[in-house]
Amino acid sequence: MALTGRTALLAALGSLPVGILAPSWTGMLAVNVPLSLAILCDYALAAPVRTLRFTRTGDTSVRLGDTANVRLTVTNPSGRRLRAQLRDAWPPSSWSSEAEQAASHHRFTVPAGERGRLTTLLRPSRRGDRQAQHVTVRSFGPLGLAARQGRHDVPWTVRVLPPFTSRKHLPSRLARLRELDGRTSVLTRGEGTEFDSLRAYVPGDDTRSIDWRATARQSSVAVRTWRPERDRHILVVLDTGRTSAGRVGDVPRLDAAMDAALLLTALAARAGDRVNLLAYDRRVRARVRGGAAGGDVLSAVVTAMAPLEPELVETDARGLSTAALAHAPRRSLLVLLTSLDAAPVEEGLLPVLPQLTRRHTVLVASVADPHVEAMTRGRGSIEAVYGAAAGTRTAEQRRRTADQLRRHGVTVVDATPDALAPALADAYLALKAAGRL
Amino acid sequence: MTETSMPVPAPGAPRGPETPSPTTSVSRAPQQIWRRVRGLLLAALLLVAAGITFAALTSDGAHGRLDPRSPDPTGSRAVAELLKNRGVTVDVVTTLDEATAAAGPDTTLLVAGPNVLTAYQRHVLRAATGDSSGRTVLVAPGRSSVGTLAPGTHADSAGPVTSRPADCDLPAARSAGTADTGGFRYRTDTHDAVACYPADGLPTFLVLPEHGTGDTVLLGSPDLLHNDRLDQQGNASLALQTLGSRPHLVWYLPSLSDPSAMENPGDGSGSGDDGAAVGSGFLDLVPSGWLWGTLQLALAAVLAAIWRARRLGPLVTERLPVAVRASESTEGRARLYRKTNARDRAAETLRSATRDRLAPLVGVPIRDAQSPEFLIPAVSACLGIPSDSDAAALLFGPAPADDAALVLLTDQLDALEREVRTS
Repeated sequence: MALTGRTALLAALGSLPVGILAPSWTGMLAVNVPLSLAILCDYALAAPVRTLRFTRTGDTSVRLGDTANVRLTVTNPSGRRLRAQLRDAWPPSSWSSEAEQAASHHRFTVPAGERGRLTTLLRPSRRGDRQAQHVTVRSFGPLGLAARQGRHDVPWTVRVLPPFTSRKHLPSRLARLRELDGRTSVLTRGEGTEFDSLRAYVPGDDTRSIDWRATARQSSVAVRTWRPERDRHILVVLDTGRTSAGRVGDVPRLDAAMDAALLLTALAARAGDRVNLLAYDRRVRARVRGGAAGGDVLSAVVTAMAPLEPELVETDARGLSTAALAHAPRRSLLVLLTSLDAAPVEEGLLPVLPQLTRRHTVLVASVADPHVEAMTRGRGSIEAVYGAAAGTRTAEQRRRTADQLRRHGVTVVDATPDALAPALADAYLALKAAGRL
Repeated sequence: MTETSMPVPAPGAPRGPETPSPTTSVSRAPQQIWRRVRGLLLAALLLVAAGITFAALTSDGAHGRLDPRSPDPTGSRAVAELLKNRGVTVDVVTTLDEATAAAGPDTTLLVAGPNVLTAYQRHVLRAATGDSSGRTVLVAPGRSSVGTLAPGTHADSAGPVTSRPADCDLPAARSAGTADTGGFRYRTDTHDAVACYPADGLPTFLVLPEHGTGDTVLLGSPDLLHNDRLDQQGNASLALQTLGSRPHLVWYLPSLSDPSAMENPGDGSGSGDDGAAVGSGFLDLVPSGWLWGTLQLALAAVLAAIWRARRLGPLVTERLPVAVRASESTEGRARLYRKTNARDRAAETLRSATRDRLAPLVGVPIRDAQSPEFLIPAVSACLGIPSDSDAAALLFGPAPADDAALVLLTDQLDALEREVRTS
């Protein structure tokens, strides 16, 4: 049971006859008894809420920043016309602003025995799964004085995918990849390269790459060309422990790391490599086995990443190493997206690093904080100078940690959130060009 | 700063879409405030004007009615002056205390408005006048007041005021003859009451004998005392004889400012609780229609509260991610430096970083960057200066003595690095 503003207005207007015509209990009763009867009649004549039937259709996933349409079909099986107000409740972060939340409220009319369709627009402000909570319906009577109210549970989940803002870097990196393929004889053969084709010798080619056997068979001199080996394995390991929770700019480190991982995945998938994903803190949070190369792996990785949230626990480096080794049975490129803070690396990662580097090429990528960089440049006041000293010290520590890792033969990429994705892609291309995959 | 250095477009130049609006202030301009409040001001002005008009239209001659100082047509100055000329002292009182204090055998007490007295005031007045042996003249007491002020007497419906014959044995009435009487007609149980000027069989002028030589005169209407009617018929004669029978005349004009009007009739001590008395007095004064209307409005308010209080479904909760800034530990370290005045540590950190950056620029291997014997000669050579004491003091000198020195050191290190880069 719910009342409306009309009821209150009628009661307020009733004060005129009560005050002017009959200022007594009789007058009060004369006004309020009919009003109460009208409210009860209205309540009785309102279409029932309990028997309504709901079904949902619409988007199940949306990229962060885009709009998702979720349609709700209301079936009114009763013999009465449904005049209703409806709230399709979703978690608050399903909308970017208070104003957009108005999209969850609907006013509609469904004739007896018919169906109506409502569309709720969602524009989530955070990554992750958004679950529809419940649908609350307020069904008004024909007079609009009283309403029946009830709730229905109509489950639906919209997965909000990472925005993949580093998409814009993909074309330029793909161009570099194609150049890499075409760098035939200049590319020295070695581990990680494979024989591509034979072609006629042109002056300037390395004479060592002349294939004498082939030259003997044909009339012209032939050289062998090489290309980076395809079908290499890449394992992207996301560290979802406490160090990934720190906010850099306005997003957690984890989101910046995901962006970089997505660019790498997209690039590697085009290069014909197999990309696997592992998210780990003290247990496996997400896992993707990119068995088939191609476009599927990117969407699989994006979907797997969407619900990941940083956990406020210290990452178990030993367990991470074990899981990574189990996940990468063949020789792979291990891309470790973690932090370069001194303590976690020295106590966690460094002891287990030899196990990883023994079989695999390891690349450690970390999100640097632009705010610390800005602090380092602070001058002019004593606070700014102390800030600069502290920032310099932090940068120095990161550099030292990175140097420690490099001594173990690890490639280290340390960049601010904007620069991390292209930097990681470049590091991958460099490793590929060097045939170290 | 940047705004002032920006080129200012010519007055006629077209503005681009990205040109910011002239002001970014979010507070309202005076014009906006005026636009917003002018409706309210106009309404207030109309209200005041309507109030003044209404007051001017309704303020008729009722002002100064029956006042012995008022020369208005409905005033009573004429009769008061006539009585004074005959040696009767006329005192005007406005409070109950003064009126009861003046009551006595030599006094005529005229109560100009018995109907506006509260029940308590009537009781007090009656107690004072009942056995004072003086005369009490009640001008047009109505149904509510006559029962208390003249027990045993009832007021009947009021009739028109016209000239009527005395039609009784009262000497004053007989000598006055016809007079303008009317108004309330009275019915009394007192046997020796003198009933005069009857209208439709009931008297409009009644004299009730009281204790001793005292009596109470009930006057059905005040018209014969008014200035404009005093010279007609036998009005003056009747008035002078009625009011001039004693050497003193006390003219009681009840007023709202009388503190006894606030007294609680049920309170025997006479000094009641003021707040409660005022409250009940206010509610007594408010017409009942307003009270019932307000009650109905309160009911409407409750309904409105029920309407607004019913939420369309419960609130939705959500687990939010933590918001810890990654740079927090660095900022904490900076504050710690500041708190402990760790100038030595801060200077060493900044110097060490500068040395690391300078070393590759001047051709010193990075592992020798922190040793003065390699770095300083290289820096001096690069800058082309013979003495290397400046660079040595800057790069390997003692910790700065105060905050200003630390800020200066930072700037000098920057300057040195710039110099090396550009040389």
